[in-house]
Amino acid sequence: MMSGRTIADMTAVEVRDAIERKEVSAREVAEAALARVEELDAHVHAFNQVCPDLALQAAARIDAMVAAGEALPPLAGVPAGIKDNMNLVGTRTTCSSRILQDYESVYTCTAVQRLLDAGALPVGKCNLDEFAFGSSTENSAFGPTRNPWDLERVPGGSSGGSAAAVAARMVAVSLGSDTGGSIRQPGALTGTVAVKPTYGRVSRYGLVAFASSLDQIGPFARTVEDAALVLQAIAGKDPLDATSVDEPVDDYRAALDAGVEGLRVGLVTDMLDIEGCAAEVREAVEGAARTLAALGAEVGEVALPMSRHGLSAYYIIGPAEASSNLARFDGIRYGHRVKDAEDVLDLYMRSRAEGFGPESIRRIMLGTYALSAGYYEAYYGQAQKTRTLIIREFAEAFERFDVLLTPTSPTVAFKLGEKASDPLAMYLSDVYTIPLNLAGLPGISVPVGLCPSTGLPIGAQIAARHFDEAAMFRAAAALERALALDMVPPLVRK
Amino acid sequence: MAKDRLAEVLERYEAVIGLEIHTELTSLRSKMFCGCPVAFGGEPNTRVCPVCLGMPGALPVPNEAAVEATVLAGLALECEIARFSQFHRKNYFYPDMPKNYQISQYDLPFCKNGHLDVEVGEGASAYVTRVGITRIHLEEDTGKMIHVGGAEGRIAGADYSLVDFNRAGTPLIELVTEPDIRTPEEARRFAQTLRTVFLALGISDCSMEEGSMRVDANVSIRPRGATEFGTKAEVKNMNSFKALHDALAYEIVRQADLLDSGGRVVQETRHWDAAAKRTSGLRSKEEAHDYRYFPEPDMVPFEFTDEWIASVKAKLPELPAARRERYAAELGLPKQDARLIADDVALSRFFEQAVSVAGADRAKPVANWVLGELSAHLNATGLAVEECGILPEMLAELVVLIEDGTISGKQGKDVFAEMAQTGERPGAVVERRGMRQVSDTDAIEAVARRVLDAHPDEVASYRGGKSGLIGWFVGQVMREMRGQANPAVVNDVLRALLDQQDR
Repeated sequence: MMSGRTIADMTAVEVRDAIERKEVSAREVAEAALARVEELDAHVHAFNQVCPDLALQAAARIDAMVAAGEALPPLAGVPAGIKDNMNLVGTRTTCSSRILQDYESVYTCTAVQRLLDAGALPVGKCNLDEFAFGSSTENSAFGPTRNPWDLERVPGGSSGGSAAAVAARMVAVSLGSDTGGSIRQPGALTGTVAVKPTYGRVSRYGLVAFASSLDQIGPFARTVEDAALVLQAIAGKDPLDATSVDEPVDDYRAALDAGVEGLRVGLVTDMLDIEGCAAEVREAVEGAARTLAALGAEVGEVALPMSRHGLSAYYIIGPAEASSNLARFDGIRYGHRVKDAEDVLDLYMRSRAEGFGPESIRRIMLGTYALSAGYYEAYYGQAQKTRTLIIREFAEAFERFDVLLTPTSPTVAFKLGEKASDPLAMYLSDVYTIPLNLAGLPGISVPVGLCPSTGLPIGAQIAARHFDEAAMFRAAAALERALALDMVPPLVRK
Repeated sequence: MAKDRLAEVLERYEAVIGLEIHTELTSLRSKMFCGCPVAFGGEPNTRVCPVCLGMPGALPVPNEAAVEATVLAGLALECEIARFSQFHRKNYFYPDMPKNYQISQYDLPFCKNGHLDVEVGEGASAYVTRVGITRIHLEEDTGKMIHVGGAEGRIAGADYSLVDFNRAGTPLIELVTEPDIRTPEEARRFAQTLRTVFLALGISDCSMEEGSMRVDANVSIRPRGATEFGTKAEVKNMNSFKALHDALAYEIVRQADLLDSGGRVVQETRHWDAAAKRTSGLRSKEEAHDYRYFPEPDMVPFEFTDEWIASVKAKLPELPAARRERYAAELGLPKQDARLIADDVALSRFFEQAVSVAGADRAKPVANWVLGELSAHLNATGLAVEECGILPEMLAELVVLIEDGTISGKQGKDVFAEMAQTGERPGAVVERRGMRQVSDTDAIEAVARRVLDAHPDEVASYRGGKSGLIGWFVGQVMREMRGQANPAVVNDVLRALLDQQDR
């Protein structure tokens, strides 16, 4: 063990290097991760399922490569968590829903396969808000995930399990999915680095769809470099996803050392003015802007007035697509089915009523309504027009700026139950992240401070042009280096 | 129901019929949105994958060959091809549909505003009617259900139901006509003519029986002279062209009876029962749908360039209508023969190859043999023309043997039967069996003289005016010559001898 740090504390880059130098074996790394899960997950509940066999098998393959003197892949031996809405053969894919409680994956998600091909060790499937509907991971049929910074607080969501697993050092990296902020918001609330790539950058094949036009898989990590490495591994065209784009993938690692000299950074001022944005959050983000300026970035101000309507558009488009995407869970071919159905309609209605939780039912009903004859134009049509306007507004902003800076979330992590009974307050949690999904733009959440009153992490969101993830990594890496924050949560520090 | 009953009704009422025709693109190698093979039947649920089973997380990727086939169909039917088009989701729950939505097209179909000219009737009463084509779009087929127990194979009342997803995801084009069709016969002819076009394009096997071509009809009636449409009924489950005709005939009379007795037609879907020869209404509970169409977000829209459309157009084969024209104009075939051959891709290919060997001046006899002996042989054996063992060159050789007088037409039928049986070339059959026809006038005259000498009474009768006896004399000479004489020459020689001595 090096310099008092445990294996579990190591970043992905450190793990790979240590394995390559034969200081540790992949098996030891896997065992350390599994031990950490064993130790902490009873408190955190980051995982729905732990898969030690798969992790140890993957570790054995890496150790065999080391023994044979073969070149190691970029994430060799890196323990990874996978959000439980991505298929992985050998695991269940439950989406934290009763309706898929016992569903065994019959194929493996492209992004997961690419992560494994890069040498990562699959430790387990991470908890989420049911079907990714939520911002707190409280909407899981299997119980909430808790924030390693304060077990009374939520880790954010919907990828709360993936975020908490990385924050609590149970895994070095994880995959989440982001439809309206489901990677970036929990990233901010758990003090991790969290990336929502450009729509089409990462294949969605094998990700159980929430809203197909918004969903994107991306990484959690504890450093910008680790996040960049994971995205490097999973990005690129997939013939199985017609919306994945055949656009060259930049060398993200190279961008990390480029510095921000001359980088044009737009601080989105009207977003800071939104009611409900905590003063501490605002100050931390403004501080990040000053830091970037001090590092040589050209920081200016920009307003995105259309973006505030993103929330409304999102809560039409998201549920509309979800209502259709979730129709397949009907109890006919797989999933929960009532035993004593009288006829096919009874089978559908009762299997779904029993299988789906309240938030899923709410979104299915919202979406069904929005698409219904007579309402389509007023709701879905209008939302799509709003979406177009937001896309245009961003395009104009990106004529002046290379990246845009906003808070990731208006508040730090809130208490369990605090917003559970008020869906609208919960929905506001994603006001900064949603516009990027609507515009298909990439965004990263990077820690920029700890709240003076609560000691909880605050994240800033850096958005970039389509397929220009390199620019956002560049800014995030510079901030990370300059701020040099200690982002070890109390649970881990003990 | 008597035919004249329909005729009587159609004197007072005008029927207004529009068709909705689903055709599976059976000639494609893979399904609409995945790599599973397209084929009929098979062990249930063996041609499936996560995509066509709608497993969680699986995504559709459009089959570009299916898109091209749809556009090809649109071009063949003179449609406008969309420059911008996309798929929509049609949402409804049914167990044969894995995702509980069908990927289909809505307001932006690939093709619209086309037409097809249809020849109806035979001979003097034949006419051509132009049927407008509203749209052609591409979608995925559903699986198949088997309902066990209950009535009429429907899901309501079944003890249990089984689903086979082999068909799920098969590329399906839906063609909708304008309400331009006026009689059951026009409807049948439209469907048959459309089938010949699709067969010529090679995009489907168009089997009504196997369900790769499925015709639904909207039908209403209105008093002659009225301009308003009547209330329509949609008729489904017509599994043959005859069923299409009979179901429409039944439905028109049913609606007329309703109106005649002061009743009203109810807008509903009606099921044709071919055994009972009647239509019956489905329970309305099964149909009140709001499909909640919205653009399919798992795919990007299609933007067709003029160049791409032109490249598809360049692939259009000669269509049956043009071929009919050509056979009539260039080869001199009678209209009916031209149609019968031209409508059948395989038969016309055979015919044209045979003509190219036999010569264009022999196209008519070649056509006669193709439509006569060859078609009878195909019907009797159930074989396709490509696999029947008779090559176009063989038929051409046979026609030449007859046309140049080497064998008689009657002998030709024997040779055909022999060659169909053995695959032997007609020339070889003629040689082996010593069938070479004698056209040598001297040889025939020698035999003819013998025959006349042997039958002085008959000669006297002939000369006395019973000229019909000529046929009897020909028969006698043919018998003497074991059928190998050229009957035309025998006829000429006999007449010459009989008339000469008469003088």
